[in-house]
Amino acid sequence: MNAVSDYQTHVFTSTYTADVSGVCSALYELGGMTVIHDPSGCNSTYSTHDEPRWFDTDSLMFVSGLDEMTAVLGDDNVLIDDVTHAVRDLKPRFVTLCSGSIPHIIAFDCKGVAHLLEKRTGVPMLPVTTTGNRSYVAGVGAALTEWVKRFADSLESPYRVSSSGGPDCSANTLEGAAGPESFSVNLLGVTPLDFSINGNVDAMRKVFEDAGIPVNCCAAMGESFDSLRHIFRASVNVVVSSCGRRLARYMEQTAGIPYVEGTPIGAYGAARLPKLAKEAYEKKRASLEEDSHGALDGTSGSLRMLLAKKKGDSEGICLWKGNPAHERWDVPDGQILIIGEEVFAQSLAAAINQLTPDCRHGLRAFAVWPDVDHGFPEDVLAELIRKSRYIIGDPLYRTIPHDSKQNTFVDFPHEAYSGRIFRDRIPVFIGKNYDVAELL
Amino acid sequence: MIQKLSDIQKDNLTKRNSALHSTRMEGAFREIRDMDYEYSADIGLAYASPVRGVWNIVHIATLVPQGHQIFVCPTSCLRGVVLTTAELGRMDKMSTITVGEENILEGDMEEMLQHGVERVIRELPEKPRMMMIFTSCIHHFMAVNYQRVYNILAKEFPEIDFVDCYMDPIMRRTNPVVPSLWRQMHRVLRYTEAKNPKQVTLLGNCFPHEGAYCDLVSLLEANGIKVLEACNCKDYDEYLTMAESTCNFLFHKSGIAAAKDLEIRQKQPWYRMRPGYAYDEYDEDLRKAASILGIPEPKQSFLDSEKARTEACIRETQSLLEDTPVSIDYTAVDCPLELAQFLLDHGFNVESVMVDNFTESEDVFQKLRNTKPTLRIYETYGWNIRQMQRVHAGKILCIGQKSAYFMDSDYFVNEVENAGMYGYRGLRRLMDLISDAFRNPKPMRDLVQVKGWECECGE
Repeated sequence: MNAVSDYQTHVFTSTYTADVSGVCSALYELGGMTVIHDPSGCNSTYSTHDEPRWFDTDSLMFVSGLDEMTAVLGDDNVLIDDVTHAVRDLKPRFVTLCSGSIPHIIAFDCKGVAHLLEKRTGVPMLPVTTTGNRSYVAGVGAALTEWVKRFADSLESPYRVSSSGGPDCSANTLEGAAGPESFSVNLLGVTPLDFSINGNVDAMRKVFEDAGIPVNCCAAMGESFDSLRHIFRASVNVVVSSCGRRLARYMEQTAGIPYVEGTPIGAYGAARLPKLAKEAYEKKRASLEEDSHGALDGTSGSLRMLLAKKKGDSEGICLWKGNPAHERWDVPDGQILIIGEEVFAQSLAAAINQLTPDCRHGLRAFAVWPDVDHGFPEDVLAELIRKSRYIIGDPLYRTIPHDSKQNTFVDFPHEAYSGRIFRDRIPVFIGKNYDVAELL
Repeated sequence: MIQKLSDIQKDNLTKRNSALHSTRMEGAFREIRDMDYEYSADIGLAYASPVRGVWNIVHIATLVPQGHQIFVCPTSCLRGVVLTTAELGRMDKMSTITVGEENILEGDMEEMLQHGVERVIRELPEKPRMMMIFTSCIHHFMAVNYQRVYNILAKEFPEIDFVDCYMDPIMRRTNPVVPSLWRQMHRVLRYTEAKNPKQVTLLGNCFPHEGAYCDLVSLLEANGIKVLEACNCKDYDEYLTMAESTCNFLFHKSGIAAAKDLEIRQKQPWYRMRPGYAYDEYDEDLRKAASILGIPEPKQSFLDSEKARTEACIRETQSLLEDTPVSIDYTAVDCPLELAQFLLDHGFNVESVMVDNFTESEDVFQKLRNTKPTLRIYETYGWNIRQMQRVHAGKILCIGQKSAYFMDSDYFVNEVENAGMYGYRGLRRLMDLISDAFRNPKPMRDLVQVKGWECECGE
């Protein structure tokens, strides 16, 4: 028995959205069809608990309905035939194929089947390898990255590399394809799972637009297939949820686009994040100018900047230790504990720690977040809750036994955790109008 | 002769494709005259509508008083069941054990299961009397020896009844999860030879059947017979007394597996009250029930008066609706085709039925086809329903949540699985609900999305 496997038992708590739902959520608005290869249930779970747009907007999300006989025989022809029939009738612009746990253990060849389907139907197929065992962060990240790989043109990057493999100087000087006047950002990792549909996404665009920075693409809410194809035109990527990190890394590696991480929560985040993006842009620009003299290629040099800095920095955000078991978080007793998605939780902690000591009762905020593979170890989380003065997190975490006199819960619903139950209570937390101090 | 694997696959695919072509819709619906009795929408890619009224295994298992559920599955499967429970506000009745990648690779599913259950029992503030452990599709494929684990647990915690339950939709064609759960839920009953002639059990009901809307319960109550069902037991001790019932009655097919199991294990006879719309069947079934229990049969004069009252009620409802189109779906009633036939026979303008396969007899299907060949049959499960424009020209009265959703109508009867109605009383109640739905629109968008009919979101 694995010594660190107790994260698996959850006596009191819920579970985060799974990777397959993350795939559907990320690609929902792009005009494609998504097929989850699984027996049943994944699509109803997604449409009931993980997709607030389901009732009002049409989207083509289906489950293959894998049955025992087909699984035992490993008969992929059934899926191929079924998808072919549906594609012929519904005429989607592209088809995404992902799979749950049973195809995973019978070694379903997602890429191979997608290839065969594309040949047969003539419709672009997007294989996104999922297992049903990971969280939505993995699913959203993989789906967005695969989509961009397939449909977006990295040559549109302002930092593009010339066909000879060396830097394209006209672009690298930033006076060509993307001069200072065309500075723009992408918002990566945007789904209702982290931001709901209550105005947070509009507020996020506004944060940057108010700072004079156009938003090139918001991956992937409020975008169409055609608009998202130009995602490489942005100067800087802003990873507003950890769901966007994989795509940011891909775009940095292939097109040299730097990225910053942070969620613009409250006045602090709204002011700081656009500045950080500009700073990243200036640094990139400076490095390219150096490159053009030093003959480095235009994509070299990773530039990742965080809104929330690591422990030891002035903002005092604490990252957990002990990967992958998450058994030790360095959180002192009697402080403010923030439970949530990684980038959000760290950004909120940063915003709280910027308040005057009086506003935060002289305490400091510390962020913890679930692992993509393992979620939270419930016993460790319970211990953290019991020793914290304030706990900011989804209301479903209240089910963990605690002393309500010692531990004050501050509800901050998260769609990827409690689904639709508290949807009406999710605040518009993005932008300067959200007062972080009111949480405490 | 051993068949080659490739031949089996080819054969499987040929049969499937043949079924797909013969049953699939060209558009969102087909007229019944163009359909085969073998029609099934459960072939091909499946769609999930936002309509959530039908109870699932979590709702059903929550009925057991002092019971606790543990679901052992990968994350993607856990999400739905956990949030169903959270929406019920009953997280105290559910725990989970997540199957991880390393369990698949290391083959330690049994140890993980045992240690997980032990931890749940250790940490729960109050020990449950019954623990339903749901394993999933993946356990079949990994050949997990969970019975061995349950034996160990039963010795370790003799005060708890452990029950093996299954959430394995991959087996849905051969062993559907809901009938399987009803059977497993009653496996805890201890055998007793002594039966109580003044007590019966109703099996397979999600909702209580009350005398006001159910002829059988009315008959039983009039004769002083106690009626137990999973949804009306006040505690686990009373739940266990179902073993003493002199007979098990059921209305829905999903209870048959439990009834057969109890016939063998508990020596309890069972009888299914046919949930259709034929007066003769009502009379026959009520007489049969009385005969099994040794109580006086309902008098013919009483049955005749019931029939007359019901007919009057139906006429009144029909005159209210006049030619208003009616749509019926299979989530509202067990026998949608029979109800369509019954309403057509009584002058209603039934326009469509939403059903994913025909579970009623072929005679019912053929008769309906002859009565109204242009009756529209909509599937709700297959991908083709996505071609439908969710709209209806003019007012339409819908019986059931799915028809209301697809027809975009606020005029609908909000019920699932017959909602505890049976017989003449049930029919009169249904007519009252139809009249009320015709007069008073409801907030369809809000109501159909509630997971589990009549389950409040338990914030």
